[in-house]
Amino acid sequence: MKVNAEPMKAKLWTKGFTIGVIIIAVGAIFTIVRMAAGIGAVTNLSDGVPWGLWITFDVVTGVALAAGGFTMAALVYIFNGGKYSPLLRPALVTALLGYGVAVIAIVLDVGRWWQIYNPILPSSWQGNSPLFEVSLCVMTYFTVLILEFVPIMAEKYQKKEEGFIAKIVKFLNPLVNKILLFLIILGVVLSTLHQSSLGAVMLIAVDRIHPLWHSPLLPAFFLISAIAIGYPMVVIESTLSARTFNRKPETDLLSKIVKITPYILGLYIALKLFDVVYYGELGLLFSWWGLLFIFENLMIAILPFFLLLKESVRKSQIMLFNISIMMVAGLILNRFNTYLITYSPRPGFDYFPSIGEFVITAMMISIIFVGYKLLANYFPVLPTEQHS
Amino acid sequence: MSVSRRDFFKLTASAVSGGLIAAKSLSAAEINQEKYADNYAMLNDCTKCIGCRGCQTACKKSHEGLSHTGNDSRYDMPLDINADNYTVIHLFKETDDKWSFVKKQCLHCNEPSCQSVCPVAAFHKRDDGIVSYDSGKCIGCRYCLVACPFNAPTFEYDSATPKVQKCDFCKDIRIAKGETPVCADVCPRGAIKFGKRGDLLKEAKRRIKNNPDKYNTHIYGEAEIGGTSVLYLAPKDISFADLGYKMYGETPPIELHESIQHGIFKYWIPPVALYGALGLLAYNNMKKHKSNPLSEETDNES
Ligand code: SF4
Ligand code: SF4
Ligand code: SF4
Repeated sequence: MKVNAEPMKAKLWTKGFTIGVIIIAVGAIFTIVRMAAGIGAVTNLSDGVPWGLWITFDVVTGVALAAGGFTMAALVYIFNGGKYSPLLRPALVTALLGYGVAVIAIVLDVGRWWQIYNPILPSSWQGNSPLFEVSLCVMTYFTVLILEFVPIMAEKYQKKEEGFIAKIVKFLNPLVNKILLFLIILGVVLSTLHQSSLGAVMLIAVDRIHPLWHSPLLPAFFLISAIAIGYPMVVIESTLSARTFNRKPETDLLSKIVKITPYILGLYIALKLFDVVYYGELGLLFSWWGLLFIFENLMIAILPFFLLLKESVRKSQIMLFNISIMMVAGLILNRFNTYLITYSPRPGFDYFPSIGEFVITAMMISIIFVGYKLLANYFPVLPTEQHS
Repeated sequence: MSVSRRDFFKLTASAVSGGLIAAKSLSAAEINQEKYADNYAMLNDCTKCIGCRGCQTACKKSHEGLSHTGNDSRYDMPLDINADNYTVIHLFKETDDKWSFVKKQCLHCNEPSCQSVCPVAAFHKRDDGIVSYDSGKCIGCRYCLVACPFNAPTFEYDSATPKVQKCDFCKDIRIAKGETPVCADVCPRGAIKFGKRGDLLKEAKRRIKNNPDKYNTHIYGEAEIGGTSVLYLAPKDISFADLGYKMYGETPPIELHESIQHGIFKYWIPPVALYGALGLLAYNNMKKHKSNPLSEETDNES
């Protein structure tokens, strides 16, 4: 199971890359305004709706979509999935970028960002708060992801290149290698904790969000859906990077890992059914909100569940990609419904994201694409293609 | 009141969903009014309020840092409490005979949601009952705004160094000197009575008993979400929902997530157990394959 990976060394300034960089530049302007004049200057947030597009998409949805990292790591290292290791590095890089963006988004969204380190001060520890857990876990997991990337960088610097970063990497690498397994498992445990806690955050909003989305099982729903989206995200990432770098996607491996997905989705559907029936919410399904709820669950779970059970579907790269996109759309809808769409504002308030919020969110997405291309170009991330 | 079966199952389910059994006993939902009897409190009697808004302006004047005018140097009545107005008087009016004023502010809950959700303990329920805010700890995440059942905390969106703002019970400008909060002090009709919670509850009951034609028999804040330090009396024909105060159950909403958080963080058993189990699996797995796909160093088998 030796992994051969190589830097892509593709042409950098393609059209897509240029557009990405331009969006980041425009986003940077809005970022400066945000920092200089406050959150109100670029967002439509208010006392009535304190959390908007940034928290819902850049942070909550982004963290869920970065679940490919820990689910692949768990598969390869813990559940004996050595043969899938070619998919591991790209998944880790995607997670690294996803969490990096989430961290930037948090800094932009919290008002008193210069005190952002406060959750780690024991005088401020607040074990009752789900958000305390989220902030500690996200900080730690982001560090873990950076460390997990060190060996990949070391592989590159081992051959040539001197410089500041190379020196740090070479110094860190032997240490990281000694504790790599420890780090990987730590990453998996931290992920289960904060993925579920992101659901727990909304438990307090029992009188604010629609009962179809509020449930004592929210932590379980958030965790299970994050795990379920892990491999479909790997499918998407693999398909897109294949297109970017003119390669073939690893369809063989992909069709095998998504075999696991229906089991997780089955559990998700069963729990959702239980939730709706047990808490007497069946009647609520016959309303507009109910329709939205059904639509969301069709996309995120029910349709993919049946489709991915079929071998012929799993073998088709294009079907895999489309189903994965549908699941991601369903997951995005779920997070938006839970955090924003069904959230009832304080009396007299309303919310729709401002241009500034959209631009900065577009900047976040661009950072992921531009960052992925840069990292895959310069470091051995993607597996060497087997020519047969 | 005891927790209903449904509540119990809801809580159990949530605990299990966190992968653990809640250690917290949930049967003692009966509010221990004695426990809070000595807390500072305030009785807002809507039947006495004449809507002069003296409390509103006095509060604003006496707290430093609250802006008194808009950008055009004019002052208009705020529509609701906000970062420059800790308290606001609302008028509810259905007909010429059916109307009432009501004072909005932080209710200084017995079991404050804001304190429970804040990731950095910036909110603190003091021993004297006042829920205080510390901007030195606050990171500005605004979770408290999401969580508060009474829409009390507000945020300075237009500042580059924003703070959360809410009624501080005049803890520094009055309470610390042994004085009465500004709003209670200036009210010309005695509609805001300051005192100890136990005494004010008795006073409220006395008023209802002596004037059965005048008062709604419910005392808002006696039991809602575990009770609050700011208590309300309403006119007979007007409900608290009309006045903008939702009717809540007695169970503090924080119990749901706290039961989960306690289970996870009290002894760290579930995460550590998970770590151990995964570690064991991984260790066996590595022994079998002797390789490490992330790094080349241990990669001696191909
Ligand atoms: S009313 Fe809101 S801000 Fe005031 S103590 Fe209660 S939860 Fe906290
Ligand atoms: S905004 Fe400040 S006080 Fe409110 S929950 Fe966040 S850190 Fe705590
Ligand atoms: S107690 Fe003090 S801070 Fe609170 S509303 Fe009254 S005057 Fe304002």
